[in-house]
Amino acid sequence: MSRRVAYYPGCSLHGTAKELDESFRASVEAFDIRLDEIPGWECCGNTAAHARSRLLAAALPYNELWKVKSNLGLDTVVVPCAACFSRFMVTLHDMNDERKHADIQRVVGRRFTGGVEVDNLVDVFYDLVGLEEIERRTQQSLGGVKAAAYYGCLLTRPPKVTSAEDPEYPTHMDEILEVLGATPVDYSYKTDCCGASLALCEQSVVVELTRKILSDAAAAGAEMVVCACPLCQANLDTRQEEIAAADPRFVKLPVFYLSQLVGLAVGVPVGRLGFGKHMVPVEPVLRGAGAAV
Amino acid sequence: MAPAVAIDTTVARAVAADLGENVYKCYQCKRCTAGCPVAPLGDLHPAQIIRAVQLGDLDAAVASKFIWLCTGCVTCSTRCPQEIDVAGVMDELRAISWQEGLVPKDRPFADILQYNFDSIVRWGRLYEIELIARYKFMRPRAMMDDALLGMKMFRKGKLSLRPAFGDRRQMKRMVAEAEKIEAERAAARGRVSKRPAPARVGGAR
Repeated sequence: MSRRVAYYPGCSLHGTAKELDESFRASVEAFDIRLDEIPGWECCGNTAAHARSRLLAAALPYNELWKVKSNLGLDTVVVPCAACFSRFMVTLHDMNDERKHADIQRVVGRRFTGGVEVDNLVDVFYDLVGLEEIERRTQQSLGGVKAAAYYGCLLTRPPKVTSAEDPEYPTHMDEILEVLGATPVDYSYKTDCCGASLALCEQSVVVELTRKILSDAAAAGAEMVVCACPLCQANLDTRQEEIAAADPRFVKLPVFYLSQLVGLAVGVPVGRLGFGKHMVPVEPVLRGAGAAV
Repeated sequence: MAPAVAIDTTVARAVAADLGENVYKCYQCKRCTAGCPVAPLGDLHPAQIIRAVQLGDLDAAVASKFIWLCTGCVTCSTRCPQEIDVAGVMDELRAISWQEGLVPKDRPFADILQYNFDSIVRWGRLYEIELIARYKFMRPRAMMDDALLGMKMFRKGKLSLRPAFGDRRQMKRMVAEAEKIEAERAAARGRVSKRPAPARVGGAR
């Protein structure tokens, strides 16, 4: 039976992370989940809002949650961007404080009382679909390819807001990768920051932070990195040229979105997975894993 | 006897009122700093910023490079044994900087956040190309940074030339209403900085 959930893509998925939007839609549809994009959705506010006004930052996702409940009549919204997801979770957290909730309501001019679950990219596959169902539907195993699951910051932190079971050592993405036939590797930087939006102005910081993450993953034997956030993917994928220029021993690693690999495994046509949009080519490692790409 | 240190609680009280965090719980264990990805790249580190807030030295905090390098990764808040939302304090300091016209010149990330904010308010969604173009226009020296990368991304269809629209009327309402509430609160609380207010502060440009 098909299930309907609200879909909040966020700005990146219509821009720099189009391949996440594409592969997410395709892989989720493969599990008979129907995505209803929130009509006229607005930006979650990102760091620009929360570095300026905690109140406005909480109000923006609140407005979207209201639409999910009142306009779409749904009880779940999926938010594949980890940064947007984090803003939605902060709103739900701030709503627990009556005074803050009253302020938020005044800003939005609408009343939302809860009853909407917010799922990130990993939650969608881990909770909404489930490991058993993914295993049952996997047609194309990833052939034991060694994969470093990279969680970054906002899927799990702060745990008071995200309720993550183990914010310093999350494993849900590793478990999904295992079901897909990959071999998850154990490494130290799985929840370290990639530099996020410093990418536009403090490039050297991002180069250094991504170098540490990628080098540690490679030292653990990883042949690919898998992530669940457009900022993480962009930073990890776009800085490798510079890192390699400064360090001849550096080994480039392709950086996937989890949805691309789930899609590939369950038989989504390769044309819908956005593999052509990567900076570090992804085809060699996929062919090595036995995939026809 | 060591000389006495003057403590001014104005900044800490503002943080407590706006954020609900008591910075005096911090006993300087520096776990926040140990886990901070950008602490080695800034000038002050997170525990020192908290100390400045404890002492009431707003100038030191807002003039630091650090608060304009903080990525908001929230490792500090996650690990604080006193459960202080350290990352929230960084946001609060940035918010006070904007409200009171204290954002230092030559903080590239502050410019990015400003243009980002303007773009969201204008279109209802972030218009990536506009943000990049404004930043480059204001910083000709950075014009060629990532030019090649930008071209590659454009060729791969990762940058949209046209803006997309959210519900702009609702967006403007929310921004105006939040600014109004915060201005009321700020007026009741009084100015945090000892420095006189500049002629024009805050708001989208």
